[in-house]
Amino acid sequence: MMTVMAIVFSNIFRISTPGVSYLAYLMTGLTLFNYYSEASNLAMSSVVANFGLINKVYMPKYIFPLSKCLFVGINFLLTLIPLYAVILLTGTGLCWQHILLPYAYLCLFIFTVGMGFLLSTIAVFLRDMFYIYGIVITIWTYLTPIMYDINMIGNKTLAFLMKFNPLYQYVNFAREIILYHRTPTPWMFAGCAVSALGIFVIGALVFRKKQDKFIYYI
Amino acid sequence: MSELEKDLMVEVDGVSMMFNLGIEKGFSIKQWFTEIGKRRQKREEKKKNEFWALRDVSFKIRKGQVYGFVGANGAGKSTLLKIVAGVIKPTKGTVRTWGNICPMIELGAGFDPQLTARENIYLDGAIMGYSKEFIDSKFEEIVEFSELRDFLDVPVQNFSSGMTARLAFSIATVVDPEILIVDEILSVGDIAFQEKSQKKMMSMITGGTTVLFVSHSAEQVKRICDRVVWLDHGKVVKEGGKEVCDEYFAFCTAK
Repeated sequence: MMTVMAIVFSNIFRISTPGVSYLAYLMTGLTLFNYYSEASNLAMSSVVANFGLINKVYMPKYIFPLSKCLFVGINFLLTLIPLYAVILLTGTGLCWQHILLPYAYLCLFIFTVGMGFLLSTIAVFLRDMFYIYGIVITIWTYLTPIMYDINMIGNKTLAFLMKFNPLYQYVNFAREIILYHRTPTPWMFAGCAVSALGIFVIGALVFRKKQDKFIYYI
Repeated sequence: MSELEKDLMVEVDGVSMMFNLGIEKGFSIKQWFTEIGKRRQKREEKKKNEFWALRDVSFKIRKGQVYGFVGANGAGKSTLLKIVAGVIKPTKGTVRTWGNICPMIELGAGFDPQLTARENIYLDGAIMGYSKEFIDSKFEEIVEFSELRDFLDVPVQNFSSGMTARLAFSIATVVDPEILIVDEILSVGDIAFQEKSQKKMMSMITGGTTVLFVSHSAEQVKRICDRVVWLDHGKVVKEGGKEVCDEYFAFCTAK
């Protein structure tokens, strides 16, 4: 999949990222985004899928979305192996700032758990959310600068608005380190933390408020 | 707190539970759009579909009391037990409990049929809230009681239903709970195991545990319980000593 995307986007659309390997550029974004899309999808269906259990035994319901996010997290750690292989093979090289990367991963995880809470709650009340979210994820893939560079967008307002995408924050943070060997600015640290915690708090509050009503709707 | 209140274990106060039987008909965004003109009609339909499984049920259970619940199918017995166990929250009213609860409502709910019996003991235990150390220490006891030592490493999907039930019963009864909730599970396994499980239940019950007990067997309720609540269509018809039980069965046979 990644190979196909790399070939298509670098050769056919002639997207190039000045100064850095396009393959490494693509991989950095894709590993993060794939984690988010897989984990949020599984988390969304987790409550509905485990209704049999919820109806029979008492257990804290937040376990379901949370466990899915952790479970996909293990897959994510495995995808770091090809990522580092690409980093080394393309000659991108390592630097000491790599020790800051777990910060971006942690923020992404918190953000995903928050979205998992939110989506699983919505999915209980609106069953066709599964299909709608599939479309949302596709749109989100194209709106997040994964396959292209945000500087390629001519329209300045659009580029500015796209920076509010939380996933952009994490991808950008990781790229700054992996590709450009720079320490992320304090603003980038703040952007990651604020978006992650913000969504987490909203998701957790919605989930908490609605979890007692799940039983009526399944 | 007065002297009387001190040994209170379960307090159910004005509990009502409403289910909406027709609700799954309309909850997708697609339907929301197509039915935008029929809102009023839908709302009336929704009212019609309301079903009150319990209406304003109140009782207090003191330490060591054994409460029996009798009533026809659909009277709300299981719903009531689930509410006390905390599985579902009541629509109205409050439930307060003091002490740890062992709900034996749906046994083996946490089983994964693809895992072996050994793994399922840990899985089901974890779902019921026991720690790994606790199960480690009780593992032998569970295996011994279920008599399934030869099948420990067999996936549960290859078990017969009786064997699964035995395993589930053994896991559930391994604790010493302060409040025990039993929903008609005394009839698991073969005759020998039934007797064994009854004996185990009786020893738990007579050991000073507070028990909420649901059964359709007249003898069982009369033998075990000191207080009986008769439920019908979600309402408490009568609450009292064993004589309520006789009245209920007289009522049933009269019909």
